[in-house]
Amino acid sequence: VRCQLCPPQHALQASAVLRRVSDEQKETFISSSQQQFSSHPTDHQSEQEPQGPRPSYTGQGGQESEDYESEEQLQHRILTAALEFVPEHGWTAEAIAEGAKTLGLSVAAAGMFHSDGSELILHFVSQCNTKLSELLEQEQKLVQLGEAEKKPTDQFLRDAVQARLRMLIPYIDKWPQALSILLLPHNIPSSLNLLTSMIDDIWHYAGDQSTDFNWYTRRAVLTGVYNTTELVMMQDSSPDFEDTWRFLENRVADAMSMGNTANQVQSTGEAVVQGLMGAAVTVSNAGTSRAVR
Amino acid sequence: VYQVFESVAKKYDVMNDSMTLGIHRVWKDILMHKMNPSPGTLLLDVAGGTGDIAFRFINYVRSVRERQLQRKLRHHQNLSWQEISESYQEDKSKPLGDSQVVVCDINKEMLKVGKQKAQHLGYSEGLSWVLGNAEELPFDDDMFDVYTIAFGIRNVTRIDLALQEAYRVLKPGGRFLCLEFSHVSNPLLSRLYDLYSFQVIPVLGEVIAGDWKSYQYLVESIRRFPPQEELKAMIEDAGFFKVDYQNLNSGIVAIHSGFKL
Repeated sequence: VRCQLCPPQHALQASAVLRRVSDEQKETFISSSQQQFSSHPTDHQSEQEPQGPRPSYTGQGGQESEDYESEEQLQHRILTAALEFVPEHGWTAEAIAEGAKTLGLSVAAAGMFHSDGSELILHFVSQCNTKLSELLEQEQKLVQLGEAEKKPTDQFLRDAVQARLRMLIPYIDKWPQALSILLLPHNIPSSLNLLTSMIDDIWHYAGDQSTDFNWYTRRAVLTGVYNTTELVMMQDSSPDFEDTWRFLENRVADAMSMGNTANQVQSTGEAVVQGLMGAAVTVSNAGTSRAVR
Repeated sequence: VYQVFESVAKKYDVMNDSMTLGIHRVWKDILMHKMNPSPGTLLLDVAGGTGDIAFRFINYVRSVRERQLQRKLRHHQNLSWQEISESYQEDKSKPLGDSQVVVCDINKEMLKVGKQKAQHLGYSEGLSWVLGNAEELPFDDDMFDVYTIAFGIRNVTRIDLALQEAYRVLKPGGRFLCLEFSHVSNPLLSRLYDLYSFQVIPVLGEVIAGDWKSYQYLVESIRRFPPQEELKAMIEDAGFFKVDYQNLNSGIVAIHSGFKL
């Protein structure tokens, strides 16, 4: 990914990449870089991540020449590389260190992250959510183009939750550990955020148009379904997790019928109220007519 | 600088304990936990004369390695006895997992005391002792995983040169860690600290090490040292990223960390 850089910073970047190539030029580049750094914050508005007070970037000499990326992108790359070591090392700083090694960085780079592996898990969860969104987006396109049938809601929810949970399968041995880390106080805001946005996404693609009280109930219900199914999956040993999908089917059916029951209750309630009103009117009419006579 | 530490070398550890009331051990332990080194890490400890950081590093790596081996053994349920014993042999021969620490100091006396301590405490492998100047390190580029300087950067004449050298010898992805006395922001604590520093420490220096002047110099150099934010800016200038600091004991000591990315 390329950043749009203005020329003065380009010289600085060139120095960062080429410093390993030519040592003689080291002196001049270092002194020029020290001057550049002071103008750094003011010049650099068009940076990709607006978060850090000092937007900064790194030069990755090696495969892609002159390919500059921000710290955050480098961190993402390290975490993605670390995922393949999770089955062996768990969601730990060790996995991150191994990931950094595959990128050609020192194992000390794992020190950039929290030592309990939280960032690795959050990164994985957000990656899964993105994949799910893309999947649902594609399905929706197919429906719009008329190439596929629009699924009934319960089928849609079942498929979406199953697709999302299947992404955990390669890491399922260590997933209980991940769940417990996500429940740590300092992680709860981020993990809750990711969970709710995923549930939002699913309802959005399911064609949820409601803007009233139902919006909350639907999300709460689906969150419950998702969480319980996830827990069942942790201790499921049936072939290809059949038991889990059957559990999921039952829960979604429950959720659907709960919606119907709620409607039924509402309409019964209305009918009862009308009956009472009618009775009250009749009684009062009878009373007045008797009074008139 | 050289003369100060020549006279101070033998009594260095004793003075450290009495001046900081033993808390310096805790500071160094915290530094080690922050570093969280995995086996196979190559550490350069600059101005590390008597080896405190180096010994802690070896202990840490040794225990991490033991835990790693235990975990591996637990996974060996399905292997044959032959395979298990083979892998056990090769793991046994690497109790540190190829981790190494190079202790570099400008002062021969400090290194000598360090080597004696190592022998006395039974540290035999993974240690090297090198004479060198922090402003001009006798090492190649891109060599080390971690560079530490504990209570040493204060004594370097050109701090910016030392930081540049640190950047040079670190591998890409490598980490710079600096443990140093710093600025106390809390005014009440600051007054007590000043009182203690100027009244008590030189006296201790005279009584224990027979050297008032060196410890007077020590206290003054602490006051002259740039505060946390300024040091952070200097580290960033040398090219490090994700530079951050952690105050210990509300600013009496600070750990600065930066990465070469």
